[in-house]
Amino acid sequence: MSFKLPTKSLQNNGAAIEEEEEDYMTMTFDDDATGSYGGTRKHETSLQRHARLRREAEARARPKSKAELEAEAEAKREAALSRSLLEANPKSKGLAMMAKMGFTGGALGRRSGDNGSEGKEIIPEPLKIEIKDGREGIGLESERKRKLREAAEAAGERAKKARADEGEYRERMRREREEARLEKLVTAAQKVAERMAEEEEDKKMVCDEAKKTTSGHRPLLKTIPVVWRGLVKAREEAERDRKMRYDLEQGLLASRLPTYEDSEEEDDDKTALSKIQTTYVFADDLDEEDPELEEFNALSPDEKLRRVVLYLRENYNYCFWCKYRYPDTEMEGCPGLMEEDHE
Amino acid sequence: MADITKGTKRLSGEAEGSQDSKRVKTNGDKMDAKNPYLAHLEEKPEADFESLLDKLERRNTTAKQAEAVEDSDINPWTGQRHSERYFKILKARRKLPVNKQRQEFLDLYHNNQILVFVGETGSGKTTQIPQYVLYDELPHQTGKLIACTQPRRVAAMSVAQRVADELDVKLGEEVGYSIRFENKTSSKTLLKYMTDGQLLREAMHDRDMSRYSCIILDEAHERTLATDILMALLKQLSERRKDLKIIVMSATLDAQKFQSYFFNAPLLAVPGRTHPVEIFYTPEAERDYVEAAIRTVLQIHACEPEGDILLFLTGEEEIEDACRRISLEVDEMIRESDAGPMSVYPLYGTLPPHQQQRIFEKAPQPFRPGGRPGRKCIVATNIAETSLTIDGIVYVVDPGFSKQKIYNPRTRVESLLVSPISKASAQQRAGRAGRTRPGKCFRLYTEEAFKKELIEQTYPEILRSNLSNTVLELKKLGVEDLVHFDLMDPPAPETMMRALEELNYLACLDDDGELTPLGNLASEFPLDPALAVMLISSPEFYCSNEILSITSLLSVPQIWVRPANARKRADEMKAQFAHPDGDHLTLLNAYHAYKGAEARGEDMKKWCHEHFLSYRHLSSADNVRAQLKKIMETHGIELVSTPFHDKNYYTNIRRALLAGFFMQVAMRESSNSKVYKTVKDEQLVLIHPSTTVTTPYEWVVYNEFVLTTKQYVRTVTNIRPEWLLEIAPVYYDLSTFQKGEIKNALTRVAEKIRRQQAMKASKA
Repeated sequence: MSFKLPTKSLQNNGAAIEEEEEDYMTMTFDDDATGSYGGTRKHETSLQRHARLRREAEARARPKSKAELEAEAEAKREAALSRSLLEANPKSKGLAMMAKMGFTGGALGRRSGDNGSEGKEIIPEPLKIEIKDGREGIGLESERKRKLREAAEAAGERAKKARADEGEYRERMRREREEARLEKLVTAAQKVAERMAEEEEDKKMVCDEAKKTTSGHRPLLKTIPVVWRGLVKAREEAERDRKMRYDLEQGLLASRLPTYEDSEEEDDDKTALSKIQTTYVFADDLDEEDPELEEFNALSPDEKLRRVVLYLRENYNYCFWCKYRYPDTEMEGCPGLMEEDHE
Repeated sequence: MADITKGTKRLSGEAEGSQDSKRVKTNGDKMDAKNPYLAHLEEKPEADFESLLDKLERRNTTAKQAEAVEDSDINPWTGQRHSERYFKILKARRKLPVNKQRQEFLDLYHNNQILVFVGETGSGKTTQIPQYVLYDELPHQTGKLIACTQPRRVAAMSVAQRVADELDVKLGEEVGYSIRFENKTSSKTLLKYMTDGQLLREAMHDRDMSRYSCIILDEAHERTLATDILMALLKQLSERRKDLKIIVMSATLDAQKFQSYFFNAPLLAVPGRTHPVEIFYTPEAERDYVEAAIRTVLQIHACEPEGDILLFLTGEEEIEDACRRISLEVDEMIRESDAGPMSVYPLYGTLPPHQQQRIFEKAPQPFRPGGRPGRKCIVATNIAETSLTIDGIVYVVDPGFSKQKIYNPRTRVESLLVSPISKASAQQRAGRAGRTRPGKCFRLYTEEAFKKELIEQTYPEILRSNLSNTVLELKKLGVEDLVHFDLMDPPAPETMMRALEELNYLACLDDDGELTPLGNLASEFPLDPALAVMLISSPEFYCSNEILSITSLLSVPQIWVRPANARKRADEMKAQFAHPDGDHLTLLNAYHAYKGAEARGEDMKKWCHEHFLSYRHLSSADNVRAQLKKIMETHGIELVSTPFHDKNYYTNIRRALLAGFFMQVAMRESSNSKVYKTVKDEQLVLIHPSTTVTTPYEWVVYNEFVLTTKQYVRTVTNIRPEWLLEIAPVYYDLSTFQKGEIKNALTRVAEKIRRQQAMKASKA
């Protein structure tokens, strides 16, 4: 007994669920269910009816918000206003009286001359009620609508144009992607070139200690071959900006605080309190005009790439594509200068 | 012959000097004549005064002849000597633009039955044309009068007064006026100014308008309901009465519509005395037209040369608010930037007359000679558009809105809504700036909006009104076929249908559309059919005295005064009169208190002021009551009351209200809601906040259903649903109701009544 009971109840539950599901389906798809609740409703269990009634009572009991009420009143009004009485109320005694006077459905007023045109008359409607709330001036609404319409039209036009030029668009996107890719390759090649140059430098000055200490400082920009001068310049500029920003922030912070001049203060303290402005010395050639570099930068990415790759080959027997530094200028085994050659 | 040469001289202006000296002499005589001891001297000229007019041949006079009569020392209509004032006015009259075309007018008048006359404001048409007709029709010979209709009561009264002065006669004698609830005419009356509605009422008893030989419809461009009906009636009548002359006068130049409507009647146009007006538009639409209007006024004050400002706004509250803000801003301008002084005056219909008069005060003088100009600024509703003329206006600010009445038969809502004006209205407003000298009009909208957004003409009132009263009047006027009644702008069929239906429910029309005896009686009252039916049925409820008072109070503007600066006190005072069962009863309480105070001999103006009641409207209600009482007595409607201490005193009144207003009932939506649903139309409404009713009753009868930004029912009284089924069983035939709460509730009530009756029957 104690064993069976759970199973039974389980079965019952299963059946109930099944039943509910079935009803749920019928309720959703049965047209009668959406009719008035006064009417007969098939397949409604007492539980469901109870739930529905409770739901409805709750809906009725809940005080509606002002906005809801207004919306409801407006909906009712609009519904009533948009329905012609001639259609809504065909049994009206008023209409019957008018029919007796010869009303056949056209406009009122003097009988028009020939009967032929009478049938085509449009029935004049009562004047529309338009409620203006707020103090918007005349034309504002339509101006707004016009702007919206114009915006929509413009968007539509753009879309149309875009559709028409879809081919061109794809082509442009492809070209842009390709250019971005090439720019990356240029940078990569420039880095290689720089590294190569550094390695050369290191090799040359392996024993010269004095010179090595200064190797932290880069040489003057103009002495760097143009093919990677841009890379160095950009890096230096980024660094300078970062430092300047840092100084600015520190300085601002310091200046906001009241300062105390202490003659006893050590230089270190001063530095710590950022009373001494750390000035970073840069080669001031960063801002100098560099027509050579500008000319190089103005080149198309594939040309820039070609030049860097060529530079690497010529100076270091390095093929950017083979990623290999050949021992001699012959560069035997390398298929050629261009990327395509390596495919 | 002598007359003619005299006339010629005068026309050429050579005789000015001699005329003046002669007048001085005349005036001397006149002064003597005032002495009662010398009264016998007056008798002398009377012997031949009639001969002045006898020389004229009716409907065949010339301008010269008429002017000669006008110029004579003796008043041809009274036989008295003309006063000094008369000649002073006459001199001014001769300078009016319309005077130049007097002969042209007479020629057209003689040769046509119907004439369309267009004269812009300031042409003098309203005062002069009827007088030109007077000197041509010679009504004293035929005994037939000249009527000139005006859309507004105030205009009818003031123009009649003016014309009486011009003719040097006493108002109410040769020249009189007739408006609803007031008739100032006598057996001597030859020229009668009247409201268009009044002429319509007269026509109900005199379908051929046989008392008149000429009817002038003035301000026809305003297209009031009554003017439109009159035009249709006169058009019909012109075929029956070939001797009747009709003049349609309009102030706007769209006269073609009138011409083609009246069988291609000829047109006479007289230019107004106007100056050019420069029109400015805003480059962009305004976000807030009131704000923009105030800004514009201040800018004019700061930058423009001397000249007064007229600003058009829509309603009392908006106008009072704008006046306050402009005054404050101007004070600041005076302090900070040496601006000139400015007086700001509001102007709207419900403003008491003495305050309306203030707009004619002179503009303030600059603070010092040669200083920045002082000016006045009038902030007005569209009454300043046509009906009131204010000289000195040079700048007009026009935001392009006015409050307009609109009625929709689909929900039976009647409302005053702020709506864009028409192009014609905008032109009329601009024209106001050019009365004294070239002016400027600032339109607070773009030129494109003017062209595209504004309709050409304001819709005639007939398209914006509930027609139940009109239909009843037309029936009474003998118009059988309402469907093909030849109106200039026929209304929508639905509006007609609704009106017929309502009259049928009120039992004023039978199912065939024929006037019932009740309908016939109702049409005798210058009231809406619902009010008339309520009044006629009231003896059945033993409270016709009280219903008569309530009807009168509902026929005048609000008697409650609620000034912006004393709202709370006004509401407290109103609460003293409050009756818990409804606003109709509160009105009655206030009226009874008013009459009580009057009987005690109190200073009524003071009493009203203290109690925040409008003395003007209460006394006007009193007058209306007297007029309606007379009509009731004429038709043998008993005046009865339930004793005040009877417990049914107020119940009877509440029931009697339903006899007329059973179609204006609303039921509360649910037990915890403030929302009511109107019967049959099922519109959701709130009770207007002006109510004194504090209990949320289940059922109320209401006087008006209005739409502002929300839908309100105004002036409500608690009723019992049983009464509905009992008093208006036809309307409350439950089979005609659509499913819903109202039908359910009424069905329950009907069952309850049946049960009670069954119980009674079984007991018996």
